[in-house]
Amino acid sequence: MSSLLAVSRLIDRVSDRIGSSIYWFVLVAVLISAANAVVRKAFNYSSNSFLEIQWYLFSMIFLFCAGYTLKNNEHVRIDIISGRLSPRARAGIDIFGTLFFLFPMAFLIMWLSWPVFVEAYTRHEVSTNAGGLIIWPARLMVPIGFFLLILQGVSELIKRIAFLKGLIPDPGEKIVTKTAEEELAEEILRARGERAIAEEIEGIAVGRVERK
Amino acid sequence: MSAFLIENIAPLMFATLVIVLLIGYPVAFALAAVGIGWGLVGIELGLLQPTLLQALPERIFGVMANDTLLAIPFFTFMGLILERSGMAEDLLDTIGQLFGPIRGGLAYAVIFVGALLAATTGVVAASVISMGLISLPIMLRYGYDRRLASGVIAASGTLAQIIPPSLVLIIMADQLGRSVGDMYAGAFIPGIVLGALYALYVLFCTFARPAWAPALPIEARTLREPDGTSGNRSLLVLTVIALAIAVAFWMIYYDRYNPETATDERIVITTSVAIGAAFFAALLSKMLGLGLFSKIAERVTFVLIPPLALIFLVLGTIFLGVATPTEGGAMGATGALIMALARRRLSLPLLKQAMNTTAKLSTFVVFILIGARVFSLTFYGVNGHVWVEHLLTSLPGGQLGFLIVVNILIFVLAFFLDYFELAFIIIPLVAPVAEKLGVDLVWFGVLLAVNMQTSFMHPPFGFALFYLRSVAPAKEFLDRLSGRRTAPVTTGQIYWGAVPFVLIQVFMIGLIIAFPNIVSGGLATREKVDIRNIRIETPPEVSTPGGSSFGGGSADQDEATKALEREMRGGSEKKPESPPEPPPK
Repeated sequence: MSSLLAVSRLIDRVSDRIGSSIYWFVLVAVLISAANAVVRKAFNYSSNSFLEIQWYLFSMIFLFCAGYTLKNNEHVRIDIISGRLSPRARAGIDIFGTLFFLFPMAFLIMWLSWPVFVEAYTRHEVSTNAGGLIIWPARLMVPIGFFLLILQGVSELIKRIAFLKGLIPDPGEKIVTKTAEEELAEEILRARGERAIAEEIEGIAVGRVERK
Repeated sequence: MSAFLIENIAPLMFATLVIVLLIGYPVAFALAAVGIGWGLVGIELGLLQPTLLQALPERIFGVMANDTLLAIPFFTFMGLILERSGMAEDLLDTIGQLFGPIRGGLAYAVIFVGALLAATTGVVAASVISMGLISLPIMLRYGYDRRLASGVIAASGTLAQIIPPSLVLIIMADQLGRSVGDMYAGAFIPGIVLGALYALYVLFCTFARPAWAPALPIEARTLREPDGTSGNRSLLVLTVIALAIAVAFWMIYYDRYNPETATDERIVITTSVAIGAAFFAALLSKMLGLGLFSKIAERVTFVLIPPLALIFLVLGTIFLGVATPTEGGAMGATGALIMALARRRLSLPLLKQAMNTTAKLSTFVVFILIGARVFSLTFYGVNGHVWVEHLLTSLPGGQLGFLIVVNILIFVLAFFLDYFELAFIIIPLVAPVAEKLGVDLVWFGVLLAVNMQTSFMHPPFGFALFYLRSVAPAKEFLDRLSGRRTAPVTTGQIYWGAVPFVLIQVFMIGLIIAFPNIVSGGLATREKVDIRNIRIETPPEVSTPGGSSFGGGSADQDEATKALEREMRGGSEKKPESPPEPPPK
């Protein structure tokens, strides 16, 4: 089990590294899109490759961050029932879900999307838009993204089993860093100097998953 | 056994989905797994082509190449940067001081600032937290009723859901196959009307229960003239001047020289000119030390400029047809970055946190969509949409009966689900029926968006209430300024405070059904501008029968796709009921 946990830690590190690199693409995509809009209006110049690079970046964000998001337990759940269960029961649900929901669908999509990439690569498929980009890198993103998702699924599985065996604390509860909401609240309070209230609300965790 | 399965596969599939979702495993994977599982059963039973699941990679590719969805990270990122730029605090402070001395003034200020924040940051949590920390303590200090105070804060925070640019409208546009620009134009007036209804309720309270919302004493205002007067007259003068400039500009520039200009372009440009003039006058007076205006007049002008400039940059350009909603989002995000930089609020950790949150939010949203597409591949394959349509069209009362049932359904589900789940699971099922019954889909989308807004206010799971609870004082505390022990805000007060606003929401739904023009009023003017749009946000579906048209966006109908489509069509000739219909986007 301890060697499995080492594997899990390694996978977590890989997911973290990938996530914290890929999220810079958010900024890149914002700047490219804004620049493209301004340039098109001001100089009447536009290229389809600028438009396509934006969705390439966006696709990389959500496909490559799928595992990272899973690791951070931020894929949305309906927790009206599971929220009332014990941490052990929730770990059981996660093991069941990983084995029977996550793995089958991710394996199938990875397996089916690989030949699509191979075909795009061998045929040097190019976007049908004038001046568009080559397609195969985008096709390759799908199997890679789902592979990373499966990889993180393995890690989550190991952690849940280790938790049930009493080897590690509950992996479902990982409030490591402050949420954006908590930081915002703190910043406002700091600016206000409302110490009296700050002491009162201390200890009330602002919710982790922000859904707006 | 298999006969029973074949007969009832669609209801069984739906029942499985409900059970699986309730287990509490991430929605995205549960959806996809149910789709694939029943897909295999369907293939086994001979209901579906064995090649059905081959369409999965294309479905995902369609989501990737979807230009509309790209607006989600842009607007999210913009909101996250903006919520930390200090804009909300400045607005609440200044507008609170301006309105404070009238009865119910702080509540009006919260609604007004809530609407402004909704049109810029669009983040419910951030609005509620800012108001809960800045306005609530002042309201408590001067004896506002706790239920009214917390209700008005929670409700004003949720305005971010309906006033564009909001994520729910983008997703709604994607699911209904309508352009985001139309959705924004349609939602604008209902959003304003909702804010007005909240204000009307406050007004009603100030008459029925004056003690609930007292006027603040003039001492509470720090922005006063040296002689102790409020300085409101000066603000009034500045407002009148700005209005006069607007009217003059409208009548001279447009009526005389450019009479054929579209109405919304006139509104956007005229407003910008008038506000720009007021800003310029205040700036000049301040820099040259002329002292033309009172402190409050200058301050109001300066705090209103950043949000109004952003609204122009994002919504103005979208409504003018200069930018697509996606580009509007990117420009707004860039504007927010520049503003945060200028105010020295932008740091590397903040930037990283914003990108991190944006990346994770985009991922889970898009993955729910992917899951829903995988589910619908099978569900449509087994004619699940026909089953749903049959269920909903057999309702008594035709169109109205359908609208009422769907709204009740969503209102009830909103207690348990949030709007991502509602939009991706329920909308694709009801949208085709709505279209068949002759309901305008943009109007329908706005109606449902108003309904889904309640999911943030429903006790006890509503997110706005949850965030308000987290920042409202839960124990008795010593008010620093007044030196009095002040009672806490109980959770019960927060829940009861939300109830009148949920009822207002229901009233608004009725209003939109009774007077559809509230929505389409914003659309009529839109039509003229549409033509000049450089790009079409959501290209029409590729309507090959049984073809695999996915996503929206400029999905390339490349060779592989076409080959696949041929294959699917080939299959469809043999078995007419099997081809997967394109999902209603």
